[in-house]
Amino acid sequence: MSLRNSDERWGAVSQGFHWLIVALIVVMAYLGLTMVDLPNTPHKIAVYTLHKSIGISILALVVLRLGWRLYAGRPQRLTGIPTWQSRIASATHAALYVLLFAVPLSGWVVNSSTGFPLHWFNLVNLPPIASKSDALHAVVRPLHEWLFWTLIVLACVHAAAAIYHHLFQRDDTLARMLPRNWLRAPSTDRESSHA
Amino acid sequence: MHESRLRVLSSLVLAGGLSMATTAMAADYIQAAGSSLVFAGSYQGQAFTGRFPGFSTRLTFDPAQLATSRLDVTIPLASATTANKDYDEQLRGDAFFDARKYAQAHYVATKFRSLGGGRYAADGTLTLHGISKPVTLTFTWAAGAQPVLSGKATVRRLDFGVGSGDWADTSLIPDAIAVSTKVVLQAAK
Repeated sequence: MSLRNSDERWGAVSQGFHWLIVALIVVMAYLGLTMVDLPNTPHKIAVYTLHKSIGISILALVVLRLGWRLYAGRPQRLTGIPTWQSRIASATHAALYVLLFAVPLSGWVVNSSTGFPLHWFNLVNLPPIASKSDALHAVVRPLHEWLFWTLIVLACVHAAAAIYHHLFQRDDTLARMLPRNWLRAPSTDRESSHA
Repeated sequence: MHESRLRVLSSLVLAGGLSMATTAMAADYIQAAGSSLVFAGSYQGQAFTGRFPGFSTRLTFDPAQLATSRLDVTIPLASATTANKDYDEQLRGDAFFDARKYAQAHYVATKFRSLGGGRYAADGTLTLHGISKPVTLTFTWAAGAQPVLSGKATVRRLDFGVGSGDWADTSLIPDAIAVSTKVVLQAAK
């Protein structure tokens, strides 16, 4: 598999970013939804620190991912997909990118508003990006959670669309975001029909 | 525990008696407005500071009469604050000060040394969280109508069981907590 994106497929780097971020979001959802009710012990601090550390890492990964996409380009749109579907897909992708910035950034603001340290993987302390404020905390704490749920809903719509295209439209939408030959059937069909 | 409290009590009574007997030799002071008692440490590598509002000081001191000098500080713990309500809840709670059970800390010093250059050391005993251990306060003394004692001490929190169990992890909160104080004094009436 080539590192760069070709006209037909996402390359290894883009695929790596995509699936790594998917996996990290699943971990983050679990940590974020369970950590709040933990008893106040150093274990809770460790879980929060992990949540914050992964969140900052996702933010960095999304910056790199967007940079790579701008540099390496993206595959051509698949032929035979109605324009309205393409438009919805593009709008969803744009919204997902916005949320991939907004969720970690809002989390960083939540942390800043409490005055707690941001101790990235127990290695380095990152500065606050907002001032310590109970009023700010009361706004951004629920906002962070709502942005998260919006991300989850959109990601599910995005995934459902990819699966629909794979199973029912039998096109390459999903297969080209996976290593070659992982999902053989649709592209084989298409190639044989072209031959 | 009762025994150690009794011992502290009896030593207090003894020391109190001593200071009463020697009041003629060194000047007696009480704390005046403008005094502060603060502490500093770090949490996950980020510095925090806190203060003890409502602490009160009684001092018998004369640079020329160190042998008869005496420092007595009472520190309420339930009002100790870092200006972060999450920290404060922990600080006053069971794992740290346990302020409901041990409402006050108490520092008594009767041994004073001159360090030269206008600096002094008081070798006293701090009773905190039900535990009494020696703590040395080094300070400067600015004489005047309202003398000012400016001092520093290092308190090893783990010596006093402050931050017990998992909270004893010094990579989270170091053992040594810096305490500093500025006590403005006025003559006791």
